[in-house]
Amino acid sequence: MAKYWKSLDGNTIENKDSKLEKISSTNRRDFLKMFGFGLASTFVLSRCENMTHKAIPYLIKPEEITPSMANYYASTFFDGDKYGSILVKVIDGRPIKIEGNELSSISQGSANSILQASVLSLYDDTRYRNPQINGADTNWSTIDNQIVEQLKKIKSEKGKIAIISQSIISPSTKKVITDFIKEYPTTEHIIYDPVSISGLLEANEKSFGKRVIPNYQFDKAQVIVGINADFLGTWLSPVEYTKQYAKSRKVDEDKRTMSRHIQIETGMSLTGSNADERIVINPSEEQNLVATLYNYIAAKLNQKELPVSTSATDISKLGDELLDNRGKSLIVCGTNNIETQLIINAINQLLGNYGQTISVSRALFTKQGNDVKMADFINNLDNYKGVIFYDCNPAYDYPASKKLSEAIHNLELSISLSTIPDETSVLVKYICPANNFLESWNDFNPKQGIYSLSQPCIHPIFNTRQEQESLLKWSGNNTDYYEYIKDLWNSEIYSNTNRVFDFNDFWNISLQDGVLELPENPLNVKFNYDINSIKLTEITNSGLELQFYESVNIGTGKYANNPWLQELPDPVTKVTWDNYAAISPALANEKKLKTGDVIIINSTLELPVLVQPGQSKNTVSVALGYGRTVAGKSGKDIGVDVYQMISAKDYRNYALSNISIEKTLDFKELATTQQHNSMEGRDIVRETTLEQYKKNPSAGNEKHKEIEEQHQTLYEKHLYKGHHWAMAVDLNSCTGCNACVAACSIENNVPIVGKEEVKRAHEMHWIRIDRYYSGDADNPEVVYQPVMCQHCDNAPCENVCPVGATNHSSEGLNQMAYNRCIGTRYCNNNCPYKVRRFNWFDYNNADALKGNLHDTQNMTNDLPRMALNPDVTVRAKGVIEKCSFCVQRIQEKKLKAKLENRKLNDGEIKTACQQTCPANAIVFGDLNDKESKVYKLFNQQRNYHLLEELHTLPSVGYLTKVRNKS
Amino acid sequence: MKKINFYFAKIILFFSLISIFLVQNTFAEENQKDDHLSSNELKLGERLFYGLINTGENTINCASCHNTSVIDTFNWNPSILEIALSTQNMDSTTFANLLLNPVTKRMSEVHANIPLSGEQIILIRQYIDTYRTTGLKEQKKLVTRLSLFILLIVIFIAAFVDLSLTKFIKYKVVHGLIILIVLVFIFKILYEDAAGLGRTKDYAPLQPIKFSHQVHATSNKIDCMYCHHTAETAKSAGIPSTNVCMNCHQLVREGTYSGRFEIQKILTHMDQGQAVKWIRVHKLPDHVFFSHAQHVGVGQLECKDCHGLVEDMHLLKQENDLSMGWCLDCHRTQKVDFFENKYYENTFEEYHEQLKNNTTDSLTVAQLGGEDCMKCHY
Repeated sequence: MAKYWKSLDGNTIENKDSKLEKISSTNRRDFLKMFGFGLASTFVLSRCENMTHKAIPYLIKPEEITPSMANYYASTFFDGDKYGSILVKVIDGRPIKIEGNELSSISQGSANSILQASVLSLYDDTRYRNPQINGADTNWSTIDNQIVEQLKKIKSEKGKIAIISQSIISPSTKKVITDFIKEYPTTEHIIYDPVSISGLLEANEKSFGKRVIPNYQFDKAQVIVGINADFLGTWLSPVEYTKQYAKSRKVDEDKRTMSRHIQIETGMSLTGSNADERIVINPSEEQNLVATLYNYIAAKLNQKELPVSTSATDISKLGDELLDNRGKSLIVCGTNNIETQLIINAINQLLGNYGQTISVSRALFTKQGNDVKMADFINNLDNYKGVIFYDCNPAYDYPASKKLSEAIHNLELSISLSTIPDETSVLVKYICPANNFLESWNDFNPKQGIYSLSQPCIHPIFNTRQEQESLLKWSGNNTDYYEYIKDLWNSEIYSNTNRVFDFNDFWNISLQDGVLELPENPLNVKFNYDINSIKLTEITNSGLELQFYESVNIGTGKYANNPWLQELPDPVTKVTWDNYAAISPALANEKKLKTGDVIIINSTLELPVLVQPGQSKNTVSVALGYGRTVAGKSGKDIGVDVYQMISAKDYRNYALSNISIEKTLDFKELATTQQHNSMEGRDIVRETTLEQYKKNPSAGNEKHKEIEEQHQTLYEKHLYKGHHWAMAVDLNSCTGCNACVAACSIENNVPIVGKEEVKRAHEMHWIRIDRYYSGDADNPEVVYQPVMCQHCDNAPCENVCPVGATNHSSEGLNQMAYNRCIGTRYCNNNCPYKVRRFNWFDYNNADALKGNLHDTQNMTNDLPRMALNPDVTVRAKGVIEKCSFCVQRIQEKKLKAKLENRKLNDGEIKTACQQTCPANAIVFGDLNDKESKVYKLFNQQRNYHLLEELHTLPSVGYLTKVRNKS
Repeated sequence: MKKINFYFAKIILFFSLISIFLVQNTFAEENQKDDHLSSNELKLGERLFYGLINTGENTINCASCHNTSVIDTFNWNPSILEIALSTQNMDSTTFANLLLNPVTKRMSEVHANIPLSGEQIILIRQYIDTYRTTGLKEQKKLVTRLSLFILLIVIFIAAFVDLSLTKFIKYKVVHGLIILIVLVFIFKILYEDAAGLGRTKDYAPLQPIKFSHQVHATSNKIDCMYCHHTAETAKSAGIPSTNVCMNCHQLVREGTYSGRFEIQKILTHMDQGQAVKWIRVHKLPDHVFFSHAQHVGVGQLECKDCHGLVEDMHLLKQENDLSMGWCLDCHRTQKVDFFENKYYENTFEEYHEQLKNNTTDSLTVAQLGGEDCMKCHY
């Protein structure tokens, strides 16, 4: 068993900031007064007439809609950065949940946290409700007339117009923009990505003549090397990569092999924390290390070496492993530096990975930004007369925001097509608010030969219009965008298919499926770039370095105003509602810093410190996407904006060298959900190595058998005559990505409590992912463990409830009746897993008394409330709640089986966490069904239960983690 | 002593405040004075409406059929307010014509030989029109239970005051007894009312359209599932959308009891594109999950098992109190048709064996988990 840390100096927070305000001031006398009043008012109330409720049926009921029943519509999410093919659950006309589409080879049924939480942006209270001119509401015809007049004027003067956008993967939208350019020929379309990979695209163009992202296939690789690329968290297509990654790392008694993952990085990323081996480097060493690796491999293969000094980090072992797995390895790098990417391409080429683990025939299109063009645009802003900001926010997420915002004021015509007020849209004259993506028609082409559609799931809530329709109108085309897409599909996509169906059927099938995947045409690429011609910068002493990274929950910051995302803990650090400067324990010791101390970086950036084990010594890592200045309540002034510190000279560099840090006397407590990092000597997470597992499938889990034999009880065993629900969690697959936490919160109406409450450990998530470190503090090993209610057969919580509000169901569920609960919290106290959550306040406006409401993020306003799941009760103040194994889903599927007069099939019921898990780490099912997957997993020798020595007999089993250590 | 007095004062003040508040509320609607009756014409119209002026051999009181105040019984005939609203845009001649020479069957029967002249009808109409702004008169509410409660409180206070201050009665046992008995009754009332809070057994509100289940389900033999067609498959049985009504009422324009008046309302809703806003009768609390599909579709229950004999109701009434005890009573006694559904056979194998071997003769819902909290609460 690995030695897990008891605690890391400076890494435990003990309420240093104890000046927490007292929110409630009820004392004994007030209580008695209320009690008396309550008694009297009960009588008074019972005398009153009951409130009349209306029952309003449809006038003419649409055929496919049954009130109270959910419909699922296939659609697509693409925010200019991440792509996902999705199913939208719509109930009584309201989209309430987003899930991955199983038919898509990219989503494969899963969705990450941002994608799932994006349903809340439909109900964002801050959305534009009308078009605006200079901040005043107007109507569409007025604004259209003025804009067209101005456009025509600029056209006649031959003035330049720019359309600024993030990456666009919609064939129809591209055509709309082309049409617009035809009408106004002086228009330029400039694409940028908030987190740029321009360097990778340029390198690929130089290497094999295609400015695309190749298709990485992590499932086909035996050795995976990631260099500062968080491919499981944020890099390019994390859901797809996690699916592939997990596939290659699944082990069972019949398949005792798995891939090996080596991560080379600066900060502790989600991907790095999952690696079998992690090599820590500074950002400035990256190129040198990559070149050394190239030279090592090239030397062994008798190729010409690059003229570069050898890296200080020893890469010979890594090089040997790669050489042993030629054609079965994969190296990816997240840098935006062309030269480094060129060497990476060359290494993959030398190893023969192209055509094996990397293919170009299914190239990924989700990022197309061109750093050089964007930099040119910013530098020559004075030459432009008109700018249209197409669903983008460069005043926030592009480094030169100050220059941009000054220039916008001097423009003759400035238009924003944003749905919500952002840093850019508040600067422009004309705001033509676009629909939310759940109100829009669109098509997408995320990969070569893969198409998908999005369809409106709700009528536009406000007086908004799709951005494509705006552009079409201004180009003098009054076609409906829906017809426009259909025409394009008819002429360009339908013709590429085998045309078994006529076009209308083809369209309907594509729309129903949401995706259209044409057969792959194998494409071989030719390498014609001479790697020896590149110029490499020699490594110099870079002092203290600053690294910027995209956070898993907040991403580029577009969805910063989403309280669901803000309250999701960071997978590694478990911090919510903030960004921070992650520093290594060694640096913390040297500078005498501890978590929460505020430092000033380069005399401008004020940030609290977080001591992060595994951080490279002389580096500081800070997340992008925070510090929005124009956003709703949940996003504004949360954290600090660091986009402006990125150097925007040609290719954006997400690292800074020779920074200075200065300690202040301030202390800012971070709101973390896991303050205790120790397992207290118990084997809460059990792990082994692949080598040992090969010899003995119960390696690391020897105790399980021992404990099972010792179980004795005075109580009668529960009899489960029908179902016995259980869940198995594969710790070897779980990457800790948080998608399950998001899914659970959305499915079960888990309330948002806000930063101050998280600090008091009052967060309400029904499932949490515990993270433990072991080994060397400078480069530790990390384990993740999702913990939800264990639904114990011998539940400690059930015995202590004085009112029987929590008890055992006949199907093995530890059930919780909120209306019986009187809030003694005995169950909470007696639960060894700490999975029960108490409603300290009325977070949902579910109380009769108004004054109890504690809603820091306006989640109880009419609009955000529309996202609530009507099949799950919203809980009032003073009751305990916890994971129910998604009982609403169990009941739904059981009823379906009964109505169809058949047996309930294994795998039919999927809990929300299981449904979305990109690693397929969670399996739910019936233990009484001997053929079920969960039964088989429970009988694996890796299976154990959390704190099983307590004899709680949990219905959740964990499978030991296996590391592929060499 | 002083302290006790202070407490008394507080208690008395508290309850008197509540009673004042209550009494005020209950009688607030009464002082709706008809200010509009100042002119003689309106007064004349009113008297004609109530049949107080002799207009011939069969002087009639219109109010005997067309109610002028809010009633809680079912009246097929339109109330004075409904008449006022529906004839709002009609000129006087048409109105008089409609009344004297009715076209529909039901109206011509009841309005035959009305001894009213055109002028008198115009007067009546002016009176009717006043209801458009004032609405129907509210009836005085009986407050027996409340009075009883207040009386008990007064007795309680009096006994207490006598016990500690005035001391008219010498034997303290009497006070004790009185206080005890009064307290028992006070708590009984409080308990009954608190337990009944939110329960609406026998609730039968008047609906915007006088829709009769008896006419549709019994007289015309329409199956329940024709209108409530999602009862077998969905959580909600479904209130029929207006287009379902129109399936028949496209042709059926006149009813036995209400003539054209009520059916016309559906047509108006359809023409104006506005949904009917029914008053909801059966409503479970938000923390209860109930599925019609489970009970009607799987359990094969009859509608009347829970809703009573709806087919005999002109005005829909909530037959059962829909309390948890009522639900569980049924779950404990209702037998499950085990062999009807393959789900049960395949899931409860042990029970299946027992039934086949005749070691068990039947199984109730409760035995299959029908008493679990999380069957209904989640």
